[in-house]
Parts: sequence; C-alpha cells; structure tokens
Amino acid sequence: MYNKKGGFSMPAFFKKTEFITIVIFLIMLSVVAAMQGNFFKLSTLQNTIISWTPLILLTMGQSIVIISGGLDMSSGNALSFMLCILSATMHEENPMSGWIALLLCIIAMIGIGLINGLAVGFFKLPPIIATFATSYMWLGAALFIMPSPGGECVNWMRAFFKFSSVDNMPKMLKYIGGIVPTGVFLIILACLIWYVVSRTKLGRYIYAVGSNRNIAYDNGVKTAKIQIIAYLLNSLFVMFAALFMVGQNQSGSARIGDPLTLKCIASAVVAGVALTGGRGNVFVSIVGAAIISLVSKLIFFSNISSDYQTVVSGLILLIAVASSSIINAVKSAWAKREVYSDE
Amino acid sequence: MAVIFEAKHIVKKFNGVPALSDGNLLCHSGRITGLLGANGSGKSTISKCITGVYHKNSGTMTYMGREVDFKSPMEAKRAGIAMAFQNLSLLPELTVWQNIVMGFETRKGLFLDDKDAKATAKRILDEFVPEFDYHRTVEELSPSEMQIVEIVKAISQQPKMLILDEPTAALEQSEVKSLFKYMRLLAQRGVGMVFTSHRMWEVMEICDDVIVFKNGQVVGSIDFDKEEKNADTIIQMITGEKKIVSVPRIYKSIPEDYFMKIENLNYNKILHNITMNIKKGEIVGIGGLSGQGQEELLLAIAGNYADIKSDINVNGQKERLNSPNKAIEKGILLIPGDRQRQGLMMDKSIYENVILPKVALKKEPFIIPKKRYMEECIETNQILSINSDSIACFVSGLSGGNAQKVVMGKWLHVDMSLLILSDPAKGVDVGAKKDMYDFVKKLVDERGISVLLYASANEELIDNCDRVLVMHEGRIVGELKGKEITDETLVELSMKGSLTRREARDNV
Repeated sequence: MYNKKGGFSMPAFFKKTEFITIVIFLIMLSVVAAMQGNFFKLSTLQNTIISWTPLILLTMGQSIVIISGGLDMSSGNALSFMLCILSATMHEENPMSGWIALLLCIIAMIGIGLINGLAVGFFKLPPIIATFATSYMWLGAALFIMPSPGGECVNWMRAFFKFSSVDNMPKMLKYIGGIVPTGVFLIILACLIWYVVSRTKLGRYIYAVGSNRNIAYDNGVKTAKIQIIAYLLNSLFVMFAALFMVGQNQSGSARIGDPLTLKCIASAVVAGVALTGGRGNVFVSIVGAAIISLVSKLIFFSNISSDYQTVVSGLILLIAVASSSIINAVKSAWAKREVYSDE
Repeated sequence: MAVIFEAKHIVKKFNGVPALSDGNLLCHSGRITGLLGANGSGKSTISKCITGVYHKNSGTMTYMGREVDFKSPMEAKRAGIAMAFQNLSLLPELTVWQNIVMGFETRKGLFLDDKDAKATAKRILDEFVPEFDYHRTVEELSPSEMQIVEIVKAISQQPKMLILDEPTAALEQSEVKSLFKYMRLLAQRGVGMVFTSHRMWEVMEICDDVIVFKNGQVVGSIDFDKEEKNADTIIQMITGEKKIVSVPRIYKSIPEDYFMKIENLNYNKILHNITMNIKKGEIVGIGGLSGQGQEELLLAIAGNYADIKSDINVNGQKERLNSPNKAIEKGILLIPGDRQRQGLMMDKSIYENVILPKVALKKEPFIIPKKRYMEECIETNQILSINSDSIACFVSGLSGGNAQKVVMGKWLHVDMSLLILSDPAKGVDVGAKKDMYDFVKKLVDERGISVLLYASANEELIDNCDRVLVMHEGRIVGELKGKEITDETLVELSMKGSLTRREARDNV
C-alpha cells in the first residue's frame, strides 16, 4: 500500500487482494440493486443490514482467529449456546432477569473462548479438530438448555436489536433506532475494539503467531497467551451476535447458529484472510461476509429454478473463493519472476 | 582492548554424544573474531550455547565481568548479545520494519509507536544498505535481502556483542562488501563481533583474530596483529593431521561409455553452468563445503525441479528430467539425505515403504500384486539384513542405519542405472555405514550401474569414489581422479575455490 518513500500509492493498492474483494462486492451489489429495484429504500437497507449482522460479527471474530493461526469450527454453535442461555434465563415480565442472563452469557463467552484457546494455544491441538469437538459441546449444552426453540426476551434487551423497540427509550435514541439498527453500532464497536487491538503489541503478535508459531516463540512472543486472547476476542464478537439475535427473534434455538460456521469461514477466505495464518484484514472481512450474504440474494432475484439454487450458490461461492486464490497465485508467480529476472 | 565475553571449557552433548567437548571463545570490544572449522566442528554449537538457543552441559561463560547462562535468545538480546541466525528468525508475513523491532516494540500511550519503529529500521538500514524498501513484507524479499534484514534485526537493539553465523552465505559479492564496511563501523563503536564463514578470503579480509574448531574442540587461534595472515596455515589447522584411510576403492580405468552427459545445467541462483559426465560403472563423488549446491544438483538430476534449464543426455538420448517419475522410469534413483522427511513414510510399515516406488511405475500392474511384492520385500529384507522381526513393523521404530537400508531397499527391485546418494551416512553408525557402502560397491560391480555420491564427510568420498567433482557456490570448481582424492586435496580445492574465485572477481 506504500511506495518506497512511505507515502500512499494507488497502484500498489490495486495489486492487493483486498482491492479485488471490494471490486467483487461492488459488482455483485450493483447487480443485486439493479435486480431488486428498491434496494436503496430505507426499509430494504435496514432489513439487509439486519440479516447480514450476525454473519459479519462472526466473520470478524473468525478472521482474528484465522490470522492468529487458528480456526474456529464452533462459532455457529457457540452462538446458539449463548442465544439459548439468554432466552431461557429471561422472563418478559421481570426486567432484572435480563441482567442475570447477560451475566451468564458473559461467563459462557469467557468459558468458550478459554476452552477453544487453551485447546489450540496451550495444548497445541490441531484447531480444525479441537474446535470441531468443542462445537458439539456447545451444541449439546444448547440442546440441554432448550430442546425445542422457545424462550423469552426482556423488553430492554431489545435495545441490542433496535432502540425503537424498547418502550421507555429517550426520544432521541428512539429516533436513531428508527433509522439505524443496533447491529450497525455493534459492528462499529467490534471494529473499534479490533482497531485498538491491532495498534498494540497484541495485534502485532496475533499476526506474528499466525505467520509462524515457532519463530514467534523464539522472538519472545508468548504464543499460547496470544492464541487464547484471539479466541476470546472471537467469542466476544459471537456474543455481540447473540445479543443482537435475541433482541431480534425474542426467542432462542439450538439449531440456528450452525449454518453460520462454514459461512463465516468462507467469508473470511473470500476477503483474503489466508487459512495458513498471518495474513488478512479484519475490516475487509466485513466485505467478505457481505459478498457471501449477497450470493443468496443474487440467486433469489435471478429467477433461477429452485431446483438449481443450491448448486448455483455453491458455484458462485467457489468462484468467489477461487478469485482471491488465483490472484494470490498470479501475484506470487510474478514476484518470483521479478526476483530471478536478472538471470 | 577490553574483553567483553569469555567462554571457557563449554561442553554440549546431544543424546550423550558431545557436539562440543571443549569450547573456548574470547570476544573483545571493537574486534572481529573469526570462528572457523569444518562442518560439525562445533562452531555453530558454541554460538548457540552463548545466545541461549542450546543449554550447555558444563563450562563457564562470563559477560561484562558477570557469569551468565541465558535461557533464550531474547534474554541474551536484552542483555546485549545478539545473533544473526543462518536459518533466519524472521516472520514471512510481517513487514521488514515490523520484523526488525519484533519483541522490542516501543509504545506511545496505548498504541504501538510505529513511527519510532520505522525510524529505527531506517536508521540502521541506511547505514548498511541505503534505499532499502522496508515497507515490504519479508516473504517478498530475495534470500540475500532476508539475510540483510536478519542482520539488521540483530543490530537493532544496539548489542555489545554480535554473533554472525555464516551471514555471507546468502549474500551477493557487493552486499558482502557493504556488510564488511558496516562491521568495521560497528567495531569502531566498540561492538565485539564473532564472525563465521567458510570463505577464506572473507576471513582474511575482515577478521582481527581467528579461533579454529575441530571435532568439538578449539585446536588453535591466531591473532593477526601478532602473526602473519596465511590462509594455508589456517586451512591446515582446520583439516588437522593426515587421516588413516580405511579401505580405498581400487582405481581401475573405466571405458568411455557414458550413461549421462550434462551440459549447462542452471537452476535459479543455486546451480550455475554445471557440465559433467557419468560413465557406466563409475562412482562419482560430489565434494566441497556444505551448502554449495551439491544437494540441489542431486535433486535436479533426480527430476525434482520442474522448471529446470538443462541439456541432459541419458544413454545418448536427450531428456528433460522435470519430474521424479520420469527419472525413475529412466532408472535414475535418489536416496535423499533427509530420510525422515524425504525418503520414508515414518508411520508406515517397511513393506509399504518398500513397494511405494513400484506402485507408481507405469509398467507395473494397476491392481497391486500383493503376493509378489511381499516376496520381493522379504527378499530385500534378507539381502540388506534390515534387522527386524517382520516387514510389517513400522519404520519409525528402526535405528538410523536400518531406516537408511529401507530407503535403499525401495530401489532394489526397480530397474537401476544411476543411484544418487545424498549424504547417505548422516546419522548412521559406523557398522551400518560400512555395510551400506560395501553393498553399493557390490551393486556397481555386479549390475554395472553408476553412482553419484554426495557426502559431507570427505573420508566417504576418498574411500568410495573413482572421481570427485568439487563444488563451490553452485559451480564445479575442480575435479580429482583416483589417487588424487585425498583429504588435503579435497579441502584445498574447496577452500581455494573461494580464494581463486575471489581473485578472478578482483581482476575483472
């Protein structure tokens, strides 16, 4: 992104994988907008953002974990688990139960992050298997709390969905809530948290550990600690998504999160986060999540027979993932050429 | 000059085997000490003991008047002893400046002080190699640039003592010059340096004194202020007295019947204009200091590099050996040096390892003829006396020598024309080593195959080869035949290879 003198130079930015992600997003967005017609209407935009929010939050957390050299196969089920805790603990007529639910949810969030982080960072288990195993723990716990969908939500907790849904909100906030869903603020909060983290040693070391755990360790980085913190950040962002969803649905379900797991991994990969670790941009991963969300919209509006919808959405996904890989392959081949070109 | 560091009688054993039996080292402020010795003589081991990569078994180390024993390279670096590692300690996905300040990031309030980090990186880089673009990630750099960053990283915390472990191996000539210029600048500022290199002319040019290691001991030291600089004396010190040669191969003239002719083989920046021939029934050795492209040459001939540029003639036919399968079809079989990673599937049985190459051959049946393979494998097991109860036992449970026999056993029932051995005796005990070479020589005499052998120990070349080609920096710099092959001539050729190349460069 920088030229030799350190200043910003556009051509270098064009070569970045992130740039391709944004271009793909803009193309898909304009196609969908053209098809849908009323895409930019306020209510449509609101609904779009509401439906995207959980995936965006999960993708941001997932990206942090992948950059730190891990992977989280359990984030979808962790979402279900937290959702079930929240909705099973709350009673609509008792506002105090909301605080208890929130406290329990925070405890679960820390527990989930610690268990995943310890398994991968401290016990050095392969992330894909370790978190796959824990995903069943979260699913089992969620089913134990809530065998069938149900539960309630206290009125004030709906502030995590829309300020306007809460009865005695100040007028100003109610007005804002009528326009902007709280999901936007949650995403901004997640962005702020990552911005602060990425500007500290912690952020630098997350990339270092993902780049090469052994070399990072030799350089004095406490690799286990860093990986545990990465999983904790992930589980914090999953909690944001759970709070948002409980406000939205006013109920919980043990099965609601699972489909999001692989979607959020795919979103991260589409956004150029390398599964090998150490590479990627958490902010751009938001765009990746948007691309994956747009795929189903695209299918819906393109009048493809429902018989083929799943096949086509898989195909589009494959192309989206491939595009960033192809760009990377071409880039590295080009770099190799430059290095050896003087022969 | 003030002594800043002294190591006395350092002993370091690996699994009970001493790699360093009596390591002594003295480092003065503002002086550059050369650390010399053949491979495995203990010079790297002592460097790593000093910086806390390894932990010494006994001996004392004194730094600035205090006895020290660092637990990690970071602890040593904080105390002021930094080391630039030969196998780099850089993180590929991070930028140059992020790597340089790694572990020593400064903060400004809550956030990292990137301005300061960049300034530090720029300040050192400008003194060393001006105009270096430090915003690139390390993976974008060339090998020599990575080495430069590794050195700069070691210097970044203003060490009092700097250990450079073969820093010039990956550097270009001009970069070596600027490194030396920079080292002299550091010496003026009072930094004590320890410099390791296999290139004699570099040692002659930059060092104030040298310490010579052999077989884990210090065998001598020369202070250039008091004694004259003489490369031959040092080379003699490195090689030591004449060794008793066990059973040399009886030299007999081999008819001019070539199996392979190679002309102008080039590969990336590793191999340059390799031209060589291999006759049928001949054992050709590849010698020289380690890491001069020998292993790459063997891999290239065995078809491991898809984008190789060469004219290779096999049995009078031009071939492009760009995949191992093609080479195997031609009977060119490789026994790689790193058997755990390249030669064997450690968690599979002897049987599965031995039949693997056959399964991939075109002329073998599609459905695996298990019975025939079993019989062949049992036969192999007997011929090589791989000391084990059954061919079903796992390779990971075998000793180094027996594991190496399994690698060789893979090829016994495959058509063999050229056997390529890449340092086959590494980590193999004396008895197994002799068995293996006897077996290879038997194969040559009985089947009339050719052998290409690279060995890091010169004795193996002397005992077994008809002809030895000496390599230096990816080029063949000399050839020795029959009785000419001795320890002295080999060392002289590989060391002088660097001297003459340097003279040639200077005359240009």
